[in-house]
This record gives sequence, structure tokens and C-alpha cells, in this order.
Amino acid sequence: MNIFVLLKKTFDTEEKIKINDGQIEEDGAEYIINPYDEYAVEESIIQRDEHGGEVTVVTIGDDESEKQLRTALAMGADKAVLINTDEDLEDGDQSTTVKILESFFDDKEADLIFAGNVAIDESSGQVGPRLAEALDISCVTTITSLKIDGDTASIEKDVEGDVEMVESALPLLVTCQQGLNEPRYPSLPGIMKAKKKPLEELEIDDLDLEEEELEPKTVTIDIFLPPEKGAGKVLEGEVDDQVRELVTLLKDEKKVL
Amino acid sequence: MHLRLTDEQKMVQETIRKFVENELIPLENEVLRNEREGKPSLSAAKQEELQRKAKESGFWGINTPSEYGGADLGQMMQAIVSMEVAKTFVPFTFGGSADNILYYGNERQKEEYLIPTINGEKKSCFAMTEPDAGSDTRNIKTTAVKDGNEWVINGEKTFITGGNEANFVMVIAITDKERHQQTGREGVTCFIVDRDMGWRSEYIDTMGEWGPAALVFDNVRVPEENILGELHGGYNLGLEWIGFARWIVGARAVGAAERLLQMAIDYSKERKTFGRPIGDRQAIQWQIADSAVEIEAAKWMVLNAAFTLDQGEDNRHLASMAKLYGSNMGNRVVDRVMQIHGGMGYTRELPIERWYREARLWRIYDGTDEIQRMIIARNLLKGNVKVGQFI
Repeated sequence: MNIFVLLKKTFDTEEKIKINDGQIEEDGAEYIINPYDEYAVEESIIQRDEHGGEVTVVTIGDDESEKQLRTALAMGADKAVLINTDEDLEDGDQSTTVKILESFFDDKEADLIFAGNVAIDESSGQVGPRLAEALDISCVTTITSLKIDGDTASIEKDVEGDVEMVESALPLLVTCQQGLNEPRYPSLPGIMKAKKKPLEELEIDDLDLEEEELEPKTVTIDIFLPPEKGAGKVLEGEVDDQVRELVTLLKDEKKVL
Repeated sequence: MHLRLTDEQKMVQETIRKFVENELIPLENEVLRNEREGKPSLSAAKQEELQRKAKESGFWGINTPSEYGGADLGQMMQAIVSMEVAKTFVPFTFGGSADNILYYGNERQKEEYLIPTINGEKKSCFAMTEPDAGSDTRNIKTTAVKDGNEWVINGEKTFITGGNEANFVMVIAITDKERHQQTGREGVTCFIVDRDMGWRSEYIDTMGEWGPAALVFDNVRVPEENILGELHGGYNLGLEWIGFARWIVGARAVGAAERLLQMAIDYSKERKTFGRPIGDRQAIQWQIADSAVEIEAAKWMVLNAAFTLDQGEDNRHLASMAKLYGSNMGNRVVDRVMQIHGGMGYTRELPIERWYREARLWRIYDGTDEIQRMIIARNLLKGNVKVGQFI
């Protein structure tokens, strides 16, 4: 089976976000594999080990993205592709990303494409479904279970806490949700082998794309941090009174009841 | 010269860090609770589960030769792993390794003792130290006397790491008293002695949450075939290299000190006195700064000791320096971190007092401060090492 994983690097969850001149400061930030993409990498390895084939991990990024790709290779992926847009692309949005990927997948004949449900930075959740649309293949989002039998995939999908069962033919793109699996640690032998696994680097020029096609379709007006969390309110008095006060507050002040 | 970790080393560091954060640190409260109640720090089942998880991830046999299924990654990797694992006090070491001297065994001994030890089916300990012979190994008194095809061992060993749990011991005993007295390094032999051959172990309670054992040999009979290496040649089992790995104590101190310093930094931002966080006060800032500087220094010494051995060079001078400086640094840092935490630091709600007790051992075991200073001074005075030789 020809399996691909779409991978994005995101800020380490412990990284403090600072905004300078309307831009998020990236200098010195530590990056990790987007946690939802880790589920994707894990599932791709599981499916390959069961059904055979090859796992290729693809990312769009810069020189630094090699690190996350090597981690995926150390986990067990076979090959990696870095589409390096650092020098060619000033600005981009989900439309840009999908255009690049569409062109990349043009000659790939993928049977299965895994992506994360969302990336934890901008949380748009668009790239997976839009790519499936562009490639004209089926797409199931937020999957929590995947069984493949021949050309058919039986899928469980998270729908706001409920489970929906879906069957789909391959080729197929799925986005992975928490609960699908428990991503493995890169193994020690895996880490030592990762450097020797093939990592192909492509640029926009290699993908037969015109720069105009890559123009973002959205405009970012402002970037700001959420308001700082204020001090909480401690209710006092008899428990009955406290409950009554809480209900009143939720009803009248917060208007959530 | 390139003073940065390689990509592989960085990835190993990050993976172990993740393992420690996800698998070990969540057990810390359980460990503290168990220890307060006088139970083992972690249940046997929990320990097995951790070992299984680590092994599944291929974190196993980090320094074991590949012919025995190990990863054989060398000392730098060992240093990186040791520092990361030391960031928690949850007792855990990656499996898949055996004491260096076991590799001197013959084929049968490797089959029966070395391989099961690497695989975690058997536990070993090494017994040299006696009540009157620590680093001054010439003073050992335990004897082995030949009787037929067997040797009869009598004597007492003490402070034996792993002695309570071991299935077998590698014990050093005098087999030719005269030769031993004349030469100091000949006339002693190493025997592999199964527990069921009759030696006893007694737990030695300590200031820490871990205790070594005293071993008693009372007419313990051992077959000739259980001699490890050569008769009268116990010291030829690489024992002169016994100091090559003592930088690991320094590595432990670095890992623990980094975690402790971070706790102090976090606390000094939260805790307010007289209306301001204590981190605003110079008295606290200087303690943080001094700790950070000393950790950094110790870390480079540890890495240099490990790196030097990986180059196939004699690192014992550097290992002693890293051990001496690292363990003292660790004691100073934990003391400052407790001071910054004030009364909270002294309680058993936080792990600082536990680390404080553990840290005191670092200056004592694997050669005391005084022994390390003696080694370092002797190397320099005798001219075995020149001032500024290594870098």
C-alpha cells in the first residue's frame, strides 16, 4: 500500500507565545510534530505493518522542518519529503498549502493519506478535507478507528462525542483524532537509522507551480493574545446559599444557563 | 571542536525526556506516598510495566555490545540518558545491561550468567568492599580456601549495591595471602556465587530511600568452574578501570539539579512576600544564578569525561573531577532550592527533602570526595596527567 502522512511542525506546547508587531515571534522557539499528526504517523506505521507497503511523510516548511521528519522516520516511516518554501513564499494560507500538496500528489497514486484532525497552532482543520477534494478522493475526518480489508476501509469517527461508523473505498484521506492510537516513542535503533533513510527536498520550482496560484485567499487583520485570566471568585457562606448564588451568577452574569 | 549534540543525540535526549515526562514523573506522588508508608518506592508490577514500555521503545542495552542484542551507543549517549532520567527521583534504569566484569566469563558463564543478566532474568551484584576495606582494596580479608574441587569462602562484604536483590554475586576473595600481601594486586580471585550456594544478605537502612546490603559468607562452597577469569588474577578483570564510569554520579547530579532549579525558578515567581514575588529579590536571584552556573560547569565536565572515553582515551582523571564537582554541585543546588522554598521545601509534600537526603550519598559512594581529590592530586603530582592536558 502506498501510504502518505501530512505532517506539520507546531510550537512546542510549553512554548510561550509572544507577539511583536502583529507577528508571532518564532526566534528560538522549540518545535514539535503537531500532536494530531503524531496519531497520523502512528496509524500509518500500524497499517503498513499490517498490509505492507511504504510510508512517506510529507511536510511543507523550512530547513528546520527536517527535525520533525527525522523524528517520524525514527518512529518507523520509510521516506520523507520536505517541500521547502522558505525562500519562495512570503505568505500563505490553507489554500496555498493545498495547492502545493495537490501538485505534489499529482503523480503519486496514494492509497491512503493520513493527516491530523487540526494543527494545534491555527486549528483550521481545512488542509486534509480540501486536499481530498482537490485530488477527488474520499475523505473522513476525526477518525478514532480504522480497519482496512482489501479496498474497503471501515472507520469509526468521532462526532461531538458520539461515534459514527463509515465505510469507504480506497483511495482515501483521513484526519486523525485523539483516541485513534497511542503514538510510539521513536526507538533507539530507529533514531540511529533515521539519518540514513531517504529525505527528499523539493522547492516550489520542482512542483510546476506558478507563484500567483499560491497567493493566499485570506487576509490576516490582526493577531492578539486571549485576555489574561483574572482571579477567580470564591463563594462563601452556607452550601445552600453558595449553590443559589452560583446558579444566579451562571444565569444572569454569564448567561450560560 | 563542535560543542553541540549531534542530531541523533538530540533526538535521544528528547525521546528520553518525553519518556520521563509521560511515564515516570506522573508516578512521583505515588512514590512519595509509598515511601512515607514504608513500602517499596514502586511495586514490582509497576517496575515491570515500565521496563516493558522502555524495551518496546527499543530503549534497552544502551551500552551493551550489539552481539548481545544491545545498542552499543557509547558513553556520550549514556551521559545524555543518565542526565535525563535523573530529572525524576522515581527509581528507574533502562534494562539490558550487565556489569562489565561479567564479560570476562567463559562461554558457559556467559550462557549461564551474562546473557540472563542482560535479559533481566537474573540480577547480579559485585562485592569488593568490606567493613575495613573501601577504596583501600588491599585490606580485604575475605578468603577462599581450596577443598577438593571446591573453594570455601569466608568473610563479610558491605555496602553492596544490588546485594539485596541479586541472584548471584561476583565476589572478590584472597586466594593466596602471601602473594596478595607482597604485590597488592595478585593473589585475589573473583568467584561467581549463586545465592543458593549459601551466602546471606542483610539490608542496610540508610538516610535515603534506598539501601545496599551486607553480605555474609560463612563456609560457602563454590565449584572451581565458578572462578571468573583467572585464579589469583581477580584484578585483571578490568578492575583498574573501576573509576572510568564514576562520572555517571556527576550526570545524575546534573539531571536532578536541573529539575530542582526549575522548581525553584517556578516557585520564586509564584511565592510573594511583602507584596512582591521572591524572585524579585537579589538574595533569591543570586542563588538561582550560582546554581545555573555550577550546573553548566558540571555538565561540561560530565560530557567531557564521557566523550574522552568514547575516544578510547584514559578518562579516569576527568571522571574523578566530574564526580567530585558534580556531586558537590548537586548538594549545593538542592540546599539552595530548599532554602528558596522555605518551610515548604522542608515538608514531605514536596520531593526536595527526599532529593536532599539522596544527594548526600553522591559525595560518598563510588569513591568519596576525599578519594577523588587524592586521585586527582596524585595524577598531577606524579605527572601522569599534566595541568590543562585534555583541552
